[in-house]
Amino acid sequence: MFDFPFMLSTVPVLLKAMGTTIWVTLVASIGAALLGFSFEIARRSGRYSGYAMRFVIDFIRSTPILVQIYFFYFVLPQYGVTLPALVIGVFALSLYYSGYLAEVFKAGIDSIPAGQFEAAKSLGLGRLDTTLLIVLPQMLRAVAAPMGNYFVSLLKATPYLAVISVHEMLGTALDIGSETFRYPEPMIAVGIIFLVLALTIAQAVRWLELRLLASLKR
Amino acid sequence: MSFLDVLSVIWSGFGVTAEVTLLSLAYGVPFALIFGILQFTTQGWCRHAATIVIEFWRSSPVIILLFVFYYALPLAGLTLQAMSVAALVLGLNIGGYGSQAVRAALQSLDRGQYEAGMAMGLTRIQTLMLIELPQALKAMVPTFVNLLIQLVKGTALVSLITLADMTYKAKSVAQMTFDPASAYMGLLLSYFIICYPLTILGRSLERRLAVAKEGGHV
Amino acid sequence: MTQEHDAKSDDDAIVQIRNLHKWYGPFHALKNISLDVRRGEKIVICGPSGSGKSTLIRCVNGLERYSEGRILANGHLVDHRSDHLRLICQEVGMVFQHFNLFPHLTVMENCTLALTRVRKIPKAEAIEVAQHFLERVRIPEHGNKYPSQLSGGQQQRVAIARSLCMRPKVMLFDEPTSALDPEMIKEVLEVMTGLAREGMTMLCVTHEMGFAREVADRIVFMDAGAIVEEAPPEEFFGAAKHERSRKFLSQLLH
Ligand SMILES: Nc1ncnc2c1ncn2[C@@H]1O[C@H](COP(=O)(O)OP(=O)(O)OP(=O)(O)O)[C@@H](O)[C@H]1O
Ligand SMILES: [Mg+2]
Repeated sequence: MFDFPFMLSTVPVLLKAMGTTIWVTLVASIGAALLGFSFEIARRSGRYSGYAMRFVIDFIRSTPILVQIYFFYFVLPQYGVTLPALVIGVFALSLYYSGYLAEVFKAGIDSIPAGQFEAAKSLGLGRLDTTLLIVLPQMLRAVAAPMGNYFVSLLKATPYLAVISVHEMLGTALDIGSETFRYPEPMIAVGIIFLVLALTIAQAVRWLELRLLASLKR
Repeated sequence: MSFLDVLSVIWSGFGVTAEVTLLSLAYGVPFALIFGILQFTTQGWCRHAATIVIEFWRSSPVIILLFVFYYALPLAGLTLQAMSVAALVLGLNIGGYGSQAVRAALQSLDRGQYEAGMAMGLTRIQTLMLIELPQALKAMVPTFVNLLIQLVKGTALVSLITLADMTYKAKSVAQMTFDPASAYMGLLLSYFIICYPLTILGRSLERRLAVAKEGGHV
Repeated sequence: MTQEHDAKSDDDAIVQIRNLHKWYGPFHALKNISLDVRRGEKIVICGPSGSGKSTLIRCVNGLERYSEGRILANGHLVDHRSDHLRLICQEVGMVFQHFNLFPHLTVMENCTLALTRVRKIPKAEAIEVAQHFLERVRIPEHGNKYPSQLSGGQQQRVAIARSLCMRPKVMLFDEPTSALDPEMIKEVLEVMTGLAREGMTMLCVTHEMGFAREVADRIVFMDAGAIVEEAPPEEFFGAAKHERSRKFLSQLLH
């Protein structure tokens, strides 16, 4: 039968693992945003690099995150690259979400009026300055909401890392299960914690979004 | 084992991947329509109840939902086959997202359409079925295509609960041949072949819809 | 004698446009345009909508690629393949119809951006320069505001100051007042007139004929991608040679 006290006893262990979940989310979000922005800038920078980046982005978006994680985890060592599972996990999450963020950034950049680029050019601003000082700040305003949604989505993808034995919350719950031969309790506990966490972070992201929009107003 | 052999083993799991996808759609599409419409048309406690159900299914990470239901349902006296659990969880998760597309599409309709329907003496249900839904469905199609891609990619998860889909086959090939590079390359390629046409389709539908919308303003 | 004169006028030309052609696909937007702008000269370009005025002046600072011919700006060939282009942009100022101020930067930041990032001038010095030009366009007090907090006329004057900060050798204007309400047109034209008085070289697309009459050394009338007539204002307004110019003028008046 369902052992409620046992479930409660798993909670502190799981909460400890929440630190990893949150760290992974933060680092991978930043990585995904940087990669995604670079992809989109590269996509715009020329005809052939445009086709190439388009394909890379589409490839990332057309394959499962789970398979991408396996790919990096099992294939890199075959070529002599051995990295900690945590690093591979963070990288895989960053790469996967960069495909989606690139598309978000594309829409954001497309929404900037052509006159802004012309003004920058007529002042003699270089490519890098135009990108960082004119495009980026104006783009952020347009992409704040969808970008926030993808960060929440990324949080919800962190338990995939359990499959390469990263000890975030799901990995920890599975460990408890295999040690005690009781899976339902830690699973339900991790389910509830994750639901609460996801809803909380979604709210927090919405709040940050509003702050960002307020500070980028006008 | 040649790369072609590897691919043929992987594709021997295609039937399971397809079965999970189709069964999930059988759960997800009705769920999306019913709950999206409920959220749109009802008020008060009924709307709250619909929102809670939707939020449960779309705010929890799908991999966690899968494990929770796989391990915990037997405790509630329900012994479902892995296939049924997978279809239920993947379907309702994607259906949760779909319901938001349904609601948003209904909300974005001009209120005049509803008023005209009611003014003609149609009932609320008739207005919904004959006037509002047909128009909203068109706006939902691109989102539904994108969700279908998410679903197909999400089916890779069923390999974790012993179902022998494409991912499962690739994993066993990788273990058997000690050549994870071919196995996972082949697997990425296989999902890409399935999902890429959908990615292209989704994008072109999106573009066509945007053009149609702009045209409507003129 | 004539030889010497020619050499001198060539030397004096700060912008030299020779046999310029521009195609948009099959559409011939500029047809064999030749035009010299001498140092200190003020030229007003006018003509009906779609005649290629914007296209022409956008070619001068490389915003638009031309298909054939040659443009020299301050002695440099305007060429998309060369690295000169950014240099040319620094020497050629441009004011747009819709201002194109950067909405996320303050007025002061709009003005100092190119100074600090392109010219690499220290910030304090850049602020001094910007303040000087903001005074010249008569809005010294709005430096800390954002463009959206200013009226259209004020925004356009900021845009002029932003260009002037780079101390351009020549200023291009593309219908700088046509997005403005009548009461604001005057304040912008006053600033432009002041600039002209101080000897700025100007190449200006505008339909403000009062301004053209008062300030221009030459009026260039374009139609269907070609220069139809080129004349000093007295002559152009008094006795335009071409039927098309006369028709255009009479339409402007009515
Ligand atoms: N990017 C483009 N692609 C195709 N045709 C273009 C493009 N830009 C301009 N044109 C065409 O070139 C012609 C000249 O345009 P231009 O903007 O230079 O006219 P203009 O004289 O400035 O007109 P207006 O007074 O309306 O500003 C027009 O017929 C226009 O349709
Ligand atoms: Mg124009």
